[in-house]
Order: sequence, then C-alpha cells, then structure tokens
Amino acid sequence: MKNIDAALHTRGESQYVSDLPKPAGLLYAAVFASPVAHGEIVNIDLKKARQHSGVIAIFTARDIPGENQIGPLIPDEPLLADSMVHYIGQPVAIVVAVSPEAARKAVKSIQMEVKELEVIVDPRAAFQKGEIIGSPRTFELGDVDSTWDVCDVIVEGKCEVGGQEHVYLETQAVRAIPTEAGTMTLYSSTQSPHAVQRTVAKILGIPSHRITVDVKRLGGGFGGKEDQATPWACLAALAAWHLQKPVELVLNRHEDILMTGKRHPYSSDFKIGLKKDGTILAYEVRHYQNAGASADLSPAILERTLFHSTNAYFIPNARIFAVSCRTNLPPFTAFRGFGGPQGMFVMECAIAKAAEVLNIPREEIQRKNLLKEGDEFPYGQKAEAARAEVTWDKAVKTYDLSAIKQRIDKFNQTHFEVKKGYALMPICFGISFTATHLNQGSALVHVYTDGSVSITTGGVEMGQGFSTKVVELAVKTLGISPERIRVESTNTTRIANMSPSAASATTDLCGGATIRAIEQILSRLKRFTAEQLSLEKPDEITIQNEQVLYQGKPTGWDWKELIQRAYMARVSLSAHDFWAPPGIYFDRTTEKGHPFNYHVYGTAIIEVTLDCLRGIYQIDSVHLVHDLGRPVNKLVDIGQIEGGLAQGLGWMTVEDLQFDEKGRLLSNALASYKLPEVYFTPEKIDITLLEKADNPRGPYGSKAVGEPPLMYGIGVYFALRYAMRAFAPDKDFPFQAPLTPERVLINLYGDTKSSSISVKPQSEEKEVQPVSGK
Amino acid sequence: MAISISVTVNGKTYNHEVEPRMLLVHYLRDVLRLTGTHVGCDTSGCGACTVVVNGRAVKSCTMLAAQADGAEITTIEGLASNGDLHPLQEGFREEHGLQCGFCTPGMIMTAWQILQDNPNPSEEEIRHGLEGNLCRCTGYQNIVKAIQYAAKKIG
Repeated sequence: MKNIDAALHTRGESQYVSDLPKPAGLLYAAVFASPVAHGEIVNIDLKKARQHSGVIAIFTARDIPGENQIGPLIPDEPLLADSMVHYIGQPVAIVVAVSPEAARKAVKSIQMEVKELEVIVDPRAAFQKGEIIGSPRTFELGDVDSTWDVCDVIVEGKCEVGGQEHVYLETQAVRAIPTEAGTMTLYSSTQSPHAVQRTVAKILGIPSHRITVDVKRLGGGFGGKEDQATPWACLAALAAWHLQKPVELVLNRHEDILMTGKRHPYSSDFKIGLKKDGTILAYEVRHYQNAGASADLSPAILERTLFHSTNAYFIPNARIFAVSCRTNLPPFTAFRGFGGPQGMFVMECAIAKAAEVLNIPREEIQRKNLLKEGDEFPYGQKAEAARAEVTWDKAVKTYDLSAIKQRIDKFNQTHFEVKKGYALMPICFGISFTATHLNQGSALVHVYTDGSVSITTGGVEMGQGFSTKVVELAVKTLGISPERIRVESTNTTRIANMSPSAASATTDLCGGATIRAIEQILSRLKRFTAEQLSLEKPDEITIQNEQVLYQGKPTGWDWKELIQRAYMARVSLSAHDFWAPPGIYFDRTTEKGHPFNYHVYGTAIIEVTLDCLRGIYQIDSVHLVHDLGRPVNKLVDIGQIEGGLAQGLGWMTVEDLQFDEKGRLLSNALASYKLPEVYFTPEKIDITLLEKADNPRGPYGSKAVGEPPLMYGIGVYFALRYAMRAFAPDKDFPFQAPLTPERVLINLYGDTKSSSISVKPQSEEKEVQPVSGK
Repeated sequence: MAISISVTVNGKTYNHEVEPRMLLVHYLRDVLRLTGTHVGCDTSGCGACTVVVNGRAVKSCTMLAAQADGAEITTIEGLASNGDLHPLQEGFREEHGLQCGFCTPGMIMTAWQILQDNPNPSEEEIRHGLEGNLCRCTGYQNIVKAIQYAAKKIG
C-alpha cells in the first residue's frame, strides 16, 4: 500500500496548521525572547511596542492566570520568564497584532534591562559547579574495578559529540480558538497532543476537559515537537484566552532555530579493558550531558544514554555513569534516538581506540563482542531473539566485506591525497518508552451504516507513515477494502491521555490498540451473524475481500449487508480499546529491570572517499542488513530507514551546531547550519531486510522502525577516521563529532595533541565531582 | 501605497491591489488561498515555496508579488489536469518520494523544471536540479526515483 496521504501531498491539498482556513478576526502572535543567556530581569519596557500600529495586546508572565510552569518532568521551566532569564531565546513576552509582520515589528522595539550573570555553556563546567538536573545515575554489571588487573590492554579517552537541529520543514505552529463557556480548541503541530492539552489547562488554571487539541499531521517532528511544541501552544492559548479571539503563532525559521531545543551535545570519558584477542572485559564510561537551561526531557534522554551505552555488545563488567548538566543554552530535547546515539558513539570510539592500540581491525573487536542469546545488558534485561550476530554476518557475506577491504586498501596504496575508508556499524536499540507508564496506546473505531470505517488513535502522523500502517493493520484485521477506512485527526476529546508519538512505538501501541478495537467489533458481528444464520461456531466466521465466510465458504452476506443488518438489530458498531504491552518494568533504585518490549538489530557497512588536501568527502555507499520483524509496510519502513540514516550521517558529519561562550547560537540559519542535501546522501544505499524474522511482541510480527536506523550513521565517523589514518598513520586524532571537512583538516594538519578545537572550553583532565546535588 | 497587479495563476487571471512589500508566496497563500505552496525558511534556503513563474521554477519567498505582475504562474494546485495526477505527482506517490509532505509541492515544482529543461535527465542532472530543495524526511533517494519515474512515463 502506498502512503495514504500521497494524493493530497502531491496536489498540495494536505493541510498543515497554517494552511487551515482562517477564522474571522484571526490575530497573530510573535514572541519576544531574551537576548542574553543568563541574568536578572531589571525592567521590561513595553511602551514603544504597544504604540506600533496593528498591535492589539502584549502579555508577560504576570498575565498568566494559572501556573507559569511548563516543565514536563521537573517543574523548572516557566512559560514566560518572570524574574530571571536562563538562555538566549527564552520567551519573555508575547505580542499580538493584526498581522505577523506587525507583531514582529513591535517585538523589535521591546526593551529589556538585564543584570547579566555568569554564563555556562560547557557541561563539565556546569558539573563542577554543581549545576546538575536530577541525580547522576550509574548502571553497573559485573565488577569493573577488579577486572582491570586481568586485562591485557586498557585504553582511555575522551569524546565530544555535538547537538543537532531538527529542521522539521514545518516550523512550530499553533492556532488557538476560543469556544463557548470558557473552552478552547487548539490546532497544534505537536507530537504530544495530551501534553499540550494538560499544559495549556495548567497555564490557564482550568481543567483539561475544557481544552481540545486536534492534530491532523505534522510537517516533520523528529522529537522536536514531542515536548517543545507545548510552549508555543500555551502562548497562543494565553493570548486567545485574554482576547477571546483566535490567535495563530507560527515561528519563522530563524525564531524556531533560536528558541527551540535540539539534540543534546555530550562530553564523555571512557576506559575500556580487553584481552589481546579483542574480547572486551570491562568498560567504564562517564557521560556529561549538556541539558541546557531547564530539564525538559533531559533526564529521560539521559536514561536512554545509559541503556544504550554498550550498543550491540555484551560486556561482562560495565559501569556507566551519566549526569544531566544545566547550562545557559536552550533546553535540549528529544531527537530521534533520544540519547541512545550519544551513548553508542562513545562505545564505538572506545572500540576504535582499542583496535588502534591493539593494531587489529576495528571490526574484529566488534564482531567478537556482539550480543548473543541470553547475554545480559547492564540494566538487567537479557537479550532475547538476539539478532546482532545474524545481521552482522549477513551484511559481511551479502556485501562481501573482504572485497570491500581489499578494494579500499588497494586504492589507498595507489593514491596519495585521496583516501578511502570503511566502517561497520552494528546497532541494538530497545523498543518501549523507558518511562514504563507511557507504554499505552488507545484507539476508537466506528463503523458507519454505509460500511465506511473511521479510526482515531492516540498516534500522530508526522511523516513516519503511521496512518498508512494503521490502514494496513485495519485491512488485515477487518478483511475489507482500504477505501472504506479513514484515519482521523488525533484529538484529545476522542482519545484521552495519549502518550507522545515517540520512542518508535506509535504503531506498536496505537496500532495494537486499533487491532483490539476492531476485534471487539468483529466479535460482536460474528456472534450476530452466527445467531442470524444459525451457524454453530462464530469463531469460524471470517471476512475476506468484503465477503462474510463461514468455514471458508460464502454465507451470502457481504460487509455492507452485514453492517446494515447488525445496525438494525441494535449491535454496537463502535469500540474503544487499549494496548499496554505486558512484562515491561524498570526499578530505578536498583537500576535493573526489563524496560524494553524487544530490541531492533542491524548492521551497516559504510564506505567513504576523503580528499585529504581539502577535507571534503563523499559517502560512497551504505550497505545494511536490518531487522524489521515481519514489516507491516515495506515501502514506508524502508523510507524510514533511508531517512533516519540520512539524519544520522548528517549528525556525524556536516550538521555543526555551534554556540559561543556567551551562549549565542552561531549556526542560527539554514545558511550557517548545513543540512544534508541531495548531493550529500550516499551514492549507493542497499538495504537488506532480515528474513524469517518474526516478532511475537509487535503487531502481526512487525518491529518498530523510526529511530534505530539513525544510528547506522555513526559508522561514517569511523569510516572517515579510517581514511584519515590511511593518510596520516602517525597521528592520534581526538574523538570529536561532527567531523566536518573543516575539522578533518584541523585533525590532519593541526596540533592534535590537545583536542581543544571546539569553541567550548575544555575542562582539565582530572576526575571531577559534583559540588552538590547527589 | 498599494500596487495593482494582474496575474494568471493555474490558468485563472486575478487582479489585486497588493502592498509593495508583499512576497509572492504570501500573495498565493493569503490572498488566493493556494496553501499548497509552503513556507519552510523564508530565506530561499529550503525550496518548499517553489512555483513556476513564466516557465521557470522560482522560490516564491524571494520574489515580490508586484514583480509577478503580468506573469503566468503555476502552483502545485495547478499541476494535475482534470483530476488526473501529473506523472510527477504519480511518481512521488509510486516511489514513496514523500513522507511528511511539507517539502513535496516545492520538490515537484522544481522537478517540473528539471524535466522541462531535459525530458530525459541523468541521475546526476536530477540531483543538480534538486540542489536547492531540502527534505528532512526521506534522504532523497526516493525523490530522485520519483522524478525518474515521471521522466520515463512522459518520455
């Protein structure tokens, strides 16, 4: 089945928030944001701004009728700054005017006096000052300390990995429309309609049932609208509430990049101990997460870093320490992978360094330590249906690794300034929200008397193809034509308390709920048919190609007739159902449990060509073997693999998020933040899906797809490192991503003894301890 | 001071008074309510707003409505004829050259230009033509395939 929205998308008829017909009297809002990264607000002068033509009203923190608090996990984030500002881009006031231009013009004449305070941009510096969010956490397996003595080789190092801007093509957008009796409807470009509903209600000081949030589709999300669509919805709602007029707030690209959070930069230390043959005996890692100015989702993201710090490897003795560090940067937030990629990058760095010291190929260590059936993760879960080795071996065989290696080494022997490199990248990614309670999905299914079907779920369509997969699941369950099925907008009145569409889990959870809701209706219909046609075994009634069959033979009824008869006989044709996968738990006191429903595995082989004089490079190919279980829709899923891969490759190479020491975002536009474009993508991408790979824990044997493929992109870093080492074998390159062409040159020709080529100050190479907070 | 313009969009002629500073994309979206043309970046960086003006693909966020006076414009809404999808639209559907759909109209209008210039483009020529359009979802492979599909169908 093709993407069900394809006809609308290609005709320009799909409606995103700002495409919706404009209600009469629609007003437009623009946000005044802090120009300094840290300080006490002395005075906000709104006089000039109020005098601008077209300005209707300006609202600040004091106009919030409810609670000025939007922190999703920890109440540490005001909607509008009150007495302090903590990052550049923090919303301080909202201007409402008759046009977006008038509102933006007025924003420019707001003057704010701030007593500036010290600005921290580096997570290690924040940690030293005790500026941490929540408590540091440690996952532990085996006995690391006593293992070092028996290792043949111990390697230590440090990694810096940058953030990543989402660049969903549709910027943050919302329209708030006041309705009767103190209620309000919001059309929001959010992955989390319930979070918007709950938070708007809190800001306005009213119960949630007075707020309806409706989401048809998003022009991309990638995590950037999981939690950070909420503030803009709250601001529009605040203005609409006071003015009792519809208000639209759409950030322009510059505002969006400036004011919203991104993927977290991390700074990490690793220590790895191995036997001479490459067997990893012990691994210790310390992750300093740059959380930005408030918690946002950082502690949850940190947790996934902990979960994925050993990637697809079994390491019998591991200690993983991670801490969220508060800095004066925009609150970093969810981004595809949710902290997992950062943890996996450091693991791969440790393996690379060990391979270089042992003088063996990196992939020898990787292969030797891949997870086997029953191996324990540092969080206590055991690998079940482990497919690390099978995907690896299949990739090596299918794509002929030894031929690739030969070709590359031959090329490198005969070329001086251009070098090729390759790397293998296995992935293992846990599927489930790590916050166990979020693993619930709902669906509401109606069958109308004409036989058409309406499905609402708690899942949001953001380009991932969720709606298409829901139709596919429904067709499979119902046995009727896809033309009869419509997937509705996601709406908080039809579905309550939905989890965000995130964690790759939406199809599993809401698709699972859809199947169950349909089964409810089907079981009523079967009972009814059995009674009417005097059939003994209702269970042996099926619907295929719209025909009602009994024991495989036609009953003479088709779907339409069945529905009409059932309606006349007063059989309910609607059902709501729910799916919460069993057996998931995690104990945060012992840091052990069974947090994931299952894992997704795969292995990629990446080849690059690097021009060592200019620093520029080309990704020649990505070959991968991926485990989708029994995919619900291959077309959609392969699209997700390619898209995720492109984002991962971009994160490791050209997407260079830069802040200066004053907390100013330097890469603040598409002109200064490089996004993968059509030439950047690999010349060749081959995707092989693992065959006969059932997954009893996913709908119809399928596996989640959204996030895991992003992590194949990590491999490109090591392919480039291979090429750099082929050019300069005696140099010891620092582990710092992204590896932009500029950084390649600095690595090849600069002083690589110190790794201080970042704008971020580097802390001393000593053990740092928090001042307070534990 | 408003300026009178007369433009033909998707075969229909419109006469309007517009502010001199009004961008073509805002004219199309806000005045004509043709919202298939999207604004992704406001700075001609992403190509989501691409339309065809007098036979050339143009980023409508970098052109004034006043400059379009007298022009013939085709937007994404004007590409299908009699309800049938244009081969490019079909290609994007068949090859899954779309995910969230936000960049799709601009991609298709740029692709229209590519095929106009060269009905039988090589992959390299397709990529060269798409360089000014960004997509964050797909990784571009299927977009290139979609245009190849259309070229084959038209050719």
